[in-house]
Amino acid sequence: MAGLTLTNVVKRFGALQVVHGANLEIADGEFVVFVGPSGCGKSTLLRMIAGLEDVSGGEIAIDGTVVNDVEPAERRIAMVFQSYALYPHMTVRRNLSFGLQMNGNPKEDTERRIAHAADILQINELMDRRPAQLSGGQRQRVAIGRAIVREPQVFLFDEPLSNLDAELRVQMRVEISKLHKQLGTTMIYVTHDQTEAMTLADKIVVLRAGRIEQVGAPLDLYDDPANQFVAGFVGSPKMNFLKGRVEAVGGGSITVSLIADPSVRLTMPVNSMPAEGTPVTLGIRPEHFTDAGAGNADLKVAVDVAEHLGHTSYIYASVADEALIIERPETRHSGHRQDFTVGLPARRCFLFDADGQRLR
Amino acid sequence: MRLRNGIAYAFLAPYLLIFATFWLWPIISSFLISFQNTRVNPWRFAPSLNWGRLVGDPAFYNALYNTLIILVIQVPVMIALATVMAVLLNSPLLKARPLYRFAFFAPVVVGEVAYAAVFRLMFSIDFGIVNKLLGTVGISAISWFDNATAAMALVIIAVTWRWAGYNAIIILAGLQSVPGDVYEAATLDRVSKVQQFFHITLPLLRPIILFCVVLSVIGTMQLFTEPFLITNRGGPGGGTETLGLLLYRQGFNSLNFGYASAIAYTIAALAVAISLLNLFFGRQAK
Repeated sequence: MAGLTLTNVVKRFGALQVVHGANLEIADGEFVVFVGPSGCGKSTLLRMIAGLEDVSGGEIAIDGTVVNDVEPAERRIAMVFQSYALYPHMTVRRNLSFGLQMNGNPKEDTERRIAHAADILQINELMDRRPAQLSGGQRQRVAIGRAIVREPQVFLFDEPLSNLDAELRVQMRVEISKLHKQLGTTMIYVTHDQTEAMTLADKIVVLRAGRIEQVGAPLDLYDDPANQFVAGFVGSPKMNFLKGRVEAVGGGSITVSLIADPSVRLTMPVNSMPAEGTPVTLGIRPEHFTDAGAGNADLKVAVDVAEHLGHTSYIYASVADEALIIERPETRHSGHRQDFTVGLPARRCFLFDADGQRLR
Repeated sequence: MRLRNGIAYAFLAPYLLIFATFWLWPIISSFLISFQNTRVNPWRFAPSLNWGRLVGDPAFYNALYNTLIILVIQVPVMIALATVMAVLLNSPLLKARPLYRFAFFAPVVVGEVAYAAVFRLMFSIDFGIVNKLLGTVGISAISWFDNATAAMALVIIAVTWRWAGYNAIIILAGLQSVPGDVYEAATLDRVSKVQQFFHITLPLLRPIILFCVVLSVIGTMQLFTEPFLITNRGGPGGGTETLGLLLYRQGFNSLNFGYASAIAYTIAALAVAISLLNLFFGRQAK
C-alpha cells in the first residue's frame, strides 16, 4: 500500500499539451476518483501514473519514490481497463496466473493468490472458462481479479464500468466499494459518470481540459463548488444556471435580479463586492427549489415536461428562454405549458462571476 | 416470389454459364480423361492405365519428392519470416509504414517473367551479384543452375521472396486485430516483450498463420513458374522438377492428357490432405 504525489505533472503529445501542471496528493488507502468530461485528460493522467504514457514534465511519486523513469512493471500498480483487456485465448485461471507464472512466482503462492481473488470476487465456478464465454460483468470481475492477484500498492481503474448495462453498473459499483473496504489499498478510479464519482470516492478530482478544477470529498464538492464547471458537473440532474445582474451592493451582501424575470430578487451574503450592474450567474440545484412562498423569492416557470418517478418528480420548465429542471417530491404536476411557481431559497443558491468563478 | 427468384437467376445466368463451362466441366472432364488412354486416336477407356503408371513412375516420384522438399523447407521458413516481418511492420516505432507495406507486397504484383529474368541474372555464375557478394565473404561461386541442390535452394529463395510479403500483410491484419490494451495489461503484469510474443501474439495469430500455411501448401503443391522460368524447366536434369511441371510436360509437351489429368488429381488430393492435416493439428494444439 502506498500514497501518491503528483507535482506539476504535464503531458504533451507533440505540440499539443493535454495535462497542464497537475498537483495532487493521494493518501495511503484512499479511494480517489478522477472525473471530468471526455478529453479532459483524466485517462491520460491515470496512464501516466501506470507508466503507460511518458511524463512530459513534473514528477509522479509512489510511496515517496519518484517513478517517472521506472518501468510500468516495476511500479507495483495494477490496472483494470475499460475493455477488460483479458487474454482472450486463456482460461480465467490462466488469465489470473499468467503474469505471476511469467515472473517465476512460486506455484503455491500463485495458487493462494488466485484462490483468494476468486473468493473475493466469487468467480470460482468460472475458472475454466475463456473470456468469450463470460458475460460483461463476469469479465470485469476477472479483470479485477487479475489486478488483485498482483497484490499491488495502488489499483488503477480506467472507466471499468462503462461497458456494462445500468443495473450491472450499480451492482459492480457497490462491489468495487466493498473491495476497497476489504483490501484497504489505494485506488484511483477514472470515470466520466459523476454518480460513480460521488458514490465511490473518498476524494474526487474534477478535471477540465487538462486542469484540475477542484479536489475534495464528494459532499464538499456538492455543497461548496469552486466554480460553475464543478457546480454543473457534480450533482444529478445538474445544477440550473440563470443569468442575473447585481442590483445593489452593501452591508456584506448583494442583491441580484434575474434577467429572465427582473422582479425576482435575491439578497445573498458575499465577501467580494462586484459593482452594481455586473452580470452574474445564479446557480440552484433542482432539488433545492422550495414550495412557492417558502423561499426568499418566488419564480414563476412554464412547465414543458414533467417526469413522475413516484418518490419524486422532475419538472422540465423554462422561464423566458432559460431552461430549468426542478425536482419536487411527489408532485403530480403534469400540465404542459402550465405555469408553476417555486420558491428560491437564497442560502441554497450559488453566485458565479462572468468567468464562472464562485462569488463567495 | 417465384418471379423474383427467376429474375435473380437470370442475372446470375451469365456467371453460372461461364462457371459451368470453364470451371466445373473441366474439373469433371479431367477426372474422366484420367481414366482414358489418350495416346491413341480416338481415346479409349482404360481405367488403370494412367493411375497404374503413376504408381510406378520414377519421374512422378522425383517430382513428388522435389515438391515435398520445397514444401517442407519453404513454407515454414516463409511463414516464420512473414510473421517476423508483420511484427516489425506493426511496431509503433516504425516510420513510413505504408511505404514498407507496399515494398513487402510489391513482389506479388511484379510480372512472373520479369522477376524470373532478374533472378536468373542475379544468380548467374559469371556476372550475378549473389555470387559476387558470396565472394566477398570468402564463399566460392555457386553454380546455381547446374547443381541440383543449389537449384532447389534457388527455387526456395525465389518463392520465399515472392510470397513472404504477401503472407506478412495477411498476418499483419491479424496482428492489428489484437487490441493494444492486452499488451499494456501484459506489460503491467511484468511480462517481457519476448514472453508477450510467444504467449500472446503467436497464440492469437494461430488461426491466421494456419490460414497462411494452408494457402502456401496449396500454392507450393502447384508450383510451376519458378522451376519453369528460373531453373530451366525443372533443371538441372529434373533436379527441380515439381508436380506442376511434370503435369505440364505430360499434358502439353507429350500431349498425354490422360496421364496429366491423373497427376492433376493427385496434386489436388495431396493439397487437400496436407491442408486437412494442418487444420487438424492446428486445432489440436489449441
